[in-house]
Amino acid sequence: MSAPSKSRENILERVRAATKTVALPPAELAAAFASIPRDYIRRGGMTVTACHERFIERLREYDAEVVETTEEELPATIAAQLAGSGKHTFVAPAGLPAAWQAEGFEWKLDGGLSAAEIEKAEGVVTAAFCGVADSGTIVLHHSATEGRRVITLLPDWHLCVVYASQVVETLPEYFDRCGQTPGLATYISGPSATADIEMTRIKGVHGPRFLHVVLVRDSGQ
Amino acid sequence: MRVSLFITCYNDTLFPETGRAVVKLLERLGVELEFHPRQTCCGQMHANTGFRAEAFSQAKRFVRLYQDTETVVIPSSSCVAMIRDQYPGLFAELGNEELRKQFAALLPRVFELSEFLVDRLKVEDVGAYFPHRVTYHASCHGVRALHLGDRPWKLMNKVRGMEQVPLANLDRCCGFGGTFSVKNAEVSSAMLAVKLQDIVATGAEFCTALDNSCLMHLGGAMHRQYAGMKTIHLAEILASTETSPAEGVA
Amino acid sequence: MSQGVYHPVLDPAKARPFPEAVLPVLRNPQLRKNVAHAIDVIQAKRGKLVVEKTDWQALRTAGAAIRTHALENLGAYLTQFEERCTAAGGVVHWAADAAEARQIILNLLREENASEVIKIKTMTSAEIQLNPFLEAAGVRTYETDLAEIILQLGEDEPSHIVVPALHVNRAQVREIFARRMGLKDLSDDPRELTNAARNYLRRKFLDIPTAISGANFLVAETGSVVVVESEGNGRMCLTLPRTMITLAGIEKVLPRFQDLEVMLQVLARSATGERMNPYTSIWTGVTPGDGPQKFHVVLLDNGRSSILAKKTERQTLKCIRCAACMNACPVYRQTGGHAYGSVYPGPIGAILTPQLMQMHHAQTLPFASSLCGACYEVCPVKINIPEVLLELRSQVVNQERREAGRLFDPMYLGLRIANLIFSRAWIFHTAQFFGRIGLGVFTRKDGWIHSLPSVGGKWTQTRDLRGLPKQTFHGWWAARAAKPSGEAK
Repeated sequence: MSAPSKSRENILERVRAATKTVALPPAELAAAFASIPRDYIRRGGMTVTACHERFIERLREYDAEVVETTEEELPATIAAQLAGSGKHTFVAPAGLPAAWQAEGFEWKLDGGLSAAEIEKAEGVVTAAFCGVADSGTIVLHHSATEGRRVITLLPDWHLCVVYASQVVETLPEYFDRCGQTPGLATYISGPSATADIEMTRIKGVHGPRFLHVVLVRDSGQ
Repeated sequence: MRVSLFITCYNDTLFPETGRAVVKLLERLGVELEFHPRQTCCGQMHANTGFRAEAFSQAKRFVRLYQDTETVVIPSSSCVAMIRDQYPGLFAELGNEELRKQFAALLPRVFELSEFLVDRLKVEDVGAYFPHRVTYHASCHGVRALHLGDRPWKLMNKVRGMEQVPLANLDRCCGFGGTFSVKNAEVSSAMLAVKLQDIVATGAEFCTALDNSCLMHLGGAMHRQYAGMKTIHLAEILASTETSPAEGVA
Repeated sequence: MSQGVYHPVLDPAKARPFPEAVLPVLRNPQLRKNVAHAIDVIQAKRGKLVVEKTDWQALRTAGAAIRTHALENLGAYLTQFEERCTAAGGVVHWAADAAEARQIILNLLREENASEVIKIKTMTSAEIQLNPFLEAAGVRTYETDLAEIILQLGEDEPSHIVVPALHVNRAQVREIFARRMGLKDLSDDPRELTNAARNYLRRKFLDIPTAISGANFLVAETGSVVVVESEGNGRMCLTLPRTMITLAGIEKVLPRFQDLEVMLQVLARSATGERMNPYTSIWTGVTPGDGPQKFHVVLLDNGRSSILAKKTERQTLKCIRCAACMNACPVYRQTGGHAYGSVYPGPIGAILTPQLMQMHHAQTLPFASSLCGACYEVCPVKINIPEVLLELRSQVVNQERREAGRLFDPMYLGLRIANLIFSRAWIFHTAQFFGRIGLGVFTRKDGWIHSLPSVGGKWTQTRDLRGLPKQTFHGWWAARAAKPSGEAK
């Protein structure tokens, strides 16, 4: 509920008075919104292969590591990545497939882990909702396989599994795929970074310093 | 083709050689020129300094003087920008319906010099000869208000004997900005210093442009600093030939 | 212009006029070098990405139309946002001015018994001068954006809305961090400096249960809030605390979630020259088990509704705070941000600040532009900043010209005389005649004027002026016409 205040009525009154010559009646609002010119590129024109290559190229440009694999090879690929990380303790979101939780590592399954517990883990493995090639972006909607926001934030190393079928070329294509709008979403484009000191790009400030993406090709490809 | 020359107040007073060059150039290209003796100013200085009522009276004057003219040519980008970008607002706010109509009818017949040559006369080689090293300053109004694009280069590329030197940070403002140059004289001077560095670095003999207001600013600093360069309006380069070189140029 | 620590005043009601405020900056080579370097780097990156984006102009057109539509129907979209945010467990507060917003936030912090608060970079909180208010009320504020830490620890003020510490170089950051964090052996390597900030904040993120953020966008359709950032400090603040307070100007509303497909394509490209910023966070009210379980939004008017009422000026509120205009501005490149005396510097600040001050302060800002148009050209939502500058200039002149003291102000007198001169050709020609005689006194043998009195001296302090030629153009034309053939040279 809203905190009752006189300011609410005053501000809305002032806003309505300020826009009275241009504001539309509620019934016409949707039509006016629909008539906004949207001549930008909605669907990209790339082949599937080119689109995937663009995705990989743009991820790498912003310092993410990318490996490609197939569905069959996925558990082995994840295991190899984890081994290569030199890390031992990993967080897994509640719904992470068991096959992705490679043997030989310590797994903390998230069922409401405290920040302190997550902080102690060295890495995290998640799925994604979508990948956007144009900007090299990973989209998380924080489902059971993608995890709560905090688990992809505190550990220093994030491995994210993206299926080729989840990769779209343009940002509008992602929005078309959303269906129901997500209550929570995080878009990740490369690892945490800053350029606040003399515009020198430094990887890793507060978020994970290492972002690894495993792109899973369809078996036919 | 009959063309009426709006020379602009500051060219009339400070840079008559530019006007003479426009006459020489256009007459050489077979244009029949007129000059309205009652012309004064487009109102840009007043409009840009916030004196809107005064700017309006000059805008009204311009429209009344030129409404029956076939074509108006103006060798100053910023004055053309004033007419195109600011007159509509002035007339909407302060004018009447009749004035608005007169202006709307006149506007398509108002040309900046390079627009007139390239778009209207459809000529790029104007038969010019200018055996000097020259750099071109793309004035803000020419680039961002008039969108002159490659028109100046279409003309310059056909000038015989001329060596063009590209200017770094081509479309960066020289810091003139009309009364800005005295209201914010120090910032203006800092901008000028930066611009002049780029211009001097070209090693050109001349810096040219389609607007004498920038050139007055740049030329004033070149003279103060003994920079060993001069400014020249592009009309003067285009008017220059083997037998009749630009005024004041050896 | 004293040496030593420079304390900029970013309160428009107290700041010096722009032409005075720039003087110490223009004579500070370190600051000018830092600003120009940062600006040139961003501009070059932005330029490449805009060329790469073949539908850039279509995105700008859509972005401008979405923002215009949202503003024209702001009442409907604000109430929709309030309804949806509330339904999702958020609490919406309304603040008519800065004082009310500060008090609402303080009251919320007191309810939480908060003695400390962590903050995501928010220019709106700087606009209402929130930090000093909270500190005075006994709440310690911790800025968490790297640039904001530099400024907070260095007791400095932001000079840019996206890269607020761009006027500070690595050696200066090293000095501030070494002194304030007690790290004597710190080097000036940006990597090491960044790491120092990470360590400095890590415990605070985990321990302080209350956070304050701004908002890049509010989504009316869903009641969601969007925060765009790079470092992850934002995600920390949005995820770890128990209580989250978001302060947002009322103009930040977008009609629908899908509008982000336009805004997010233009924002990072315009702001930092990246295809997308590293982190974009979207949340809606409260999500059980994930993030803060108490969420408040404070919607701030503070002069915005009066800007909204004016036809030409309304477009000011389209701004999405990308800072592309200041990065492109040749004035800002020389002066940096502090001279604008406001947390909103550069071209957008030159139009926004005086309007937020109801045209009672910051009256020199609309004149702090050469009207070169670079700001309009780069604006991702097509705010015609030169048009608004001119409108505000006219308002300032209309206010000032009635003041008695202006009667003999050389600028006002000169422009009134000029108007008379241009009203008739014969007066113009007479003025040219006497002008030549008058200026002849100052014209040297080389034909140039090296020094002029009064306003003219502002010109001749750094430039010469060519003396007036003997013959005007119209004089030449008349003489030529009087001769039988065209030989008038």
